[in-house]
Amino acid sequence: MLDIAAQFVTGLSIASILLMVALGLAVIYGTTGVINLAHGEFVMLGAYGAWFAQTFLGLGLIASMPLVFVAVALLGLLTERSVIRWLYARPLDTILATWGVGVVLQQAVRLSAGGELRYVAAPHILDVSLDLLGVSVSAYRVFVLVVALAAFAATWAIIYRTALGLRLRAITQNREVAQAFGVNADRVYSLTFAYGAGLAGLAGALVAPLKSVAPEMGTAYVVDAFMVVVLGGVQSLFGTVASSGLLGELSGFIAYLSNDTIAKAVVLLAVVVLIRFRPQGLFTRRGRA
Amino acid sequence: MPRALGTLGPVAIFAAVLLAVPLFVGDVFLLNKYARYCCLAILAVALSFSWGYAGILNLGQAVSFGLGAYAMAMYLKLRTTPIHTGADGLPDFMVWNNVERLPLLWVPFQNQGFALAAGIAGPALMAALLGWFMFRGRVTGVYVAIITLAVMVVLNLVVIDQQAYTGGFNGITDLGLLALFGHEFDAYSADVYYLAAGVLIAVLLIGYLAAMSRTGLILQAIRDSEDRVRFFGYDVARFKIFAMTFSAAIAGLAGMIYTVVMEFASPTFMDVPFSLAIVIWVAVGGRQSLLGAAIGAIFVTGVQGALSESQVFLKSWSLLMGLLFIAVVLFLPRGIAGAAQDIARRLRGAAPDPAAVPAPGPTGGKA
Repeated sequence: MLDIAAQFVTGLSIASILLMVALGLAVIYGTTGVINLAHGEFVMLGAYGAWFAQTFLGLGLIASMPLVFVAVALLGLLTERSVIRWLYARPLDTILATWGVGVVLQQAVRLSAGGELRYVAAPHILDVSLDLLGVSVSAYRVFVLVVALAAFAATWAIIYRTALGLRLRAITQNREVAQAFGVNADRVYSLTFAYGAGLAGLAGALVAPLKSVAPEMGTAYVVDAFMVVVLGGVQSLFGTVASSGLLGELSGFIAYLSNDTIAKAVVLLAVVVLIRFRPQGLFTRRGRA
Repeated sequence: MPRALGTLGPVAIFAAVLLAVPLFVGDVFLLNKYARYCCLAILAVALSFSWGYAGILNLGQAVSFGLGAYAMAMYLKLRTTPIHTGADGLPDFMVWNNVERLPLLWVPFQNQGFALAAGIAGPALMAALLGWFMFRGRVTGVYVAIITLAVMVVLNLVVIDQQAYTGGFNGITDLGLLALFGHEFDAYSADVYYLAAGVLIAVLLIGYLAAMSRTGLILQAIRDSEDRVRFFGYDVARFKIFAMTFSAAIAGLAGMIYTVVMEFASPTFMDVPFSLAIVIWVAVGGRQSLLGAAIGAIFVTGVQGALSESQVFLKSWSLLMGLLFIAVVLFLPRGIAGAAQDIARRLRGAAPDPAAVPAPGPTGGKA
């Protein structure tokens, strides 16, 4: 029994990271249809932001999180204004352009911060173990879970409870009609992209103490995050939560039965099969055309 | 056929240039590098056929390339002189991994005919299966991109994980020489260059024949409006499966020659950065032109090579490549080939071809 609980908690931890990384992507892809392959690099920048704040500003991880969010969001805004906004009519080309952006960001970091691995310390107050379902788990992992859920709640509130969110949903349904009613689609897209990038940055700061920080760390996240978003259903925020939970638990349990690599391969194959039979995602009734 | 002449004229010039290179380049290391570029150009032609002509953005094109490369490497590994191998010709990495007998998967690769056929048929079969799986379910656009990408990641993980059978992270090294018709191909010789360049020219010709055939025209129609073609009664999925299979066979061939040129096979031949790089070459060269794609591959990898070897750009070359690529996507959506066509048209005083401008469809899902 304890084994299963332990695996469940491990899965939950994987799921919380997945959710954190996928949330920004879900917001961007769900609204603008832009396939942002630079998302992993935004995550990487967030991790470097946390490292920078810790090493040069003497800030702890929690204190640096708002800074990281704002900095990466601004960079996302810059990317959207300079590159992405010319490509809204050609969504598949955004794959190519954002990959280029990713390469540039990766190399820029390698040149400025160096290619070697960097380490970020978890906050000291979270250096304890907690008891969850009878399993001892580091407080930091619980913290990640809490932040991920909070980020989800905030995102949900922005989309469903604010004027900006209302405009955003209107544009998603029908951009032309929304514009005819006076919604400034350009501005909403920019803000959405910036917000999604900021979330990715936050995710990066959060994973920094769990993994080592390196310029190429983003590549692994972007594929996983896409699987989560597509599996959950592009238009469904709750779908993103459900699918990160599902994928997290699935990887946790299969990894327990075999190893991490096989778990990853099996999960990816499962997602491929699901996309084939339910391209609109598991948790939506209708997807984006 | 003036249309065929207009297309194949530039190919003939390109072929002449390719074949003339060894007359002016004596350095075998340089020739080896150029042979490498030719292999990558073949790979780009393969992607251009499925992406530019049939509208299938296969982000996992490197799977086919990698399978071809491994088929060749497995064959050549079994031909290495016994010094590098364990008892009974068992490859060295298997000895290190305590494998006692040659795995069943490896046994047929002792036969040259089988290995060469497997390098083409293996990727083709895999692509046909994947195509059947996707296109029978009418998976299109972004989802094709994501599925192909995911399948590649899976294969890459498995190859790295199954170290005892694949050489794992290190790949397969210490290979014997390929001998065809009693002639040995040394990686550092003009022969290998001619092999790669010759195959590139042949692939271009076959590719253009296929693209200009009836099937090729239907594929282009599918690219532009899949539903309309379906309403005419064509079995769209069958044509798309063909396009993907054909493309995979060419990519497998490219991978086989690449192994001969590089003298090893590695999981990086089928990883995400490499596969996306193929997309870059094709986009830079012009996705709707097979020749453009080939030139794009040679141009991009050539510039990459030159920049990475120069002292000034040693560290910033990938930054420059990223910027170049963003610029091409933004300003030259039809790549070098598209720009060349526009210039040629303008020189003739004709208006730009309106059909050549990619018009976003209602879903914008093509490309």
